[in-house]
Amino acid sequence: MGALGHYLESEGVPTTQISLIREHTEAIRPPRALWVPFDLGRPLGVPGNPGFQKRVLLAALTLLESSAGPVLEKFPDDAPAQDVGGEPDGWACPVLFASDMPQPPGEASFLTSLRREITELRPWYDLGLQRTRRTAVAYFQPEDALGLFSSIIRGEEPPLPRQISSLALALRLAAQDLKAFYFEAVASKPGLAPPGASQFQQWFWKQTAAGEILRKVKEIYSSASDKDLKLAARLFLVPLDQA
Amino acid sequence: MARLETFPEPMRSHLAKLPCPSFESHPWAPGPALSQRRVALISTAGLHRRGDRPFDGMTGEYRVIPKDCEANDLVMTHVSTNFDRTGFQQDWNVVFPLDRLKELVVEGVIGSVAEYHYSFMGAADPSQMEPSARNLVGLLKEDRVDGALLVPV
Repeated sequence: MGALGHYLESEGVPTTQISLIREHTEAIRPPRALWVPFDLGRPLGVPGNPGFQKRVLLAALTLLESSAGPVLEKFPDDAPAQDVGGEPDGWACPVLFASDMPQPPGEASFLTSLRREITELRPWYDLGLQRTRRTAVAYFQPEDALGLFSSIIRGEEPPLPRQISSLALALRLAAQDLKAFYFEAVASKPGLAPPGASQFQQWFWKQTAAGEILRKVKEIYSSASDKDLKLAARLFLVPLDQA
Repeated sequence: MARLETFPEPMRSHLAKLPCPSFESHPWAPGPALSQRRVALISTAGLHRRGDRPFDGMTGEYRVIPKDCEANDLVMTHVSTNFDRTGFQQDWNVVFPLDRLKELVVEGVIGSVAEYHYSFMGAADPSQMEPSARNLVGLLKEDRVDGALLVPV
């Protein structure tokens, strides 16, 4: 980010920027930067709080009027707490999976559980989409992601959608879309606040078949001879802190 | 909180070890008062329009996001799994504050919002982004942008 500011400014375009990792910005020294003490992924602080977002935006833009630089200022406040569904360890998924049903043995059970989760989350996802008219699911509907991961786990050649150029890319996008589907489904149940970021993360990676399948796919391709596939499997499917 | 010392391992070491370029010069481009500036957003969140090509690899290229892009038209295909996406899923402004920027125009705080905005994929090596960034300058100037707000993820 800091380097982009340097490149643009050196060609005559005035820049200002938000900084999430202060140490990186101190090393690069871009012309103008506002360090914010927010979570990665939330440079404006908090979703659904236009007033706070505007304060951050204005603090960053005001640096354009500085007389000399490099300027690195600190935004004074932490992000306000979001109204989330309970304490970090207390949130329970409002959609109860029928996990006590008889399961086939071995790897097939992962896939059966994933199929069941998708079926049970689908109505909530659809209701949420109807209400918000917005989804982050971009390339893989969950049923398509299930098809891709099922082929991989069965050792079959996975089918790729036409616009996806490689299996490495397909894996990453399918994983992102599956996670987006799960969040939007559990966030849509009326009367309940959505889970916080870490609550969702803990639930998805520790309590769902989807999380288990992604770990399994990571394992399958972690030693692949295709270097892009190996990189995607090792780094882009499972977060470092959930590996 | 995004304070490096508070990150759990192995994220802290991963972030601490990311190479940062250093520059000998410190360019400084002047401009008018904020109330007269034309502002463009430049994100590194790997954002693009729904029908556009997903980010693939570390090539340092960018995608174009028109001013009239709506929330459901914008998707994120950044490679990293190590940042929160649930904020963006609930409100795109927490990553790409286009609605907030338009409000600042109505309030007279900034002059105008650029016709086009841009997104890179921030995991790419900065040196890979440099040719694209320098190419972007012509487009920003043609759009009369005199305030680029760079937003990480």
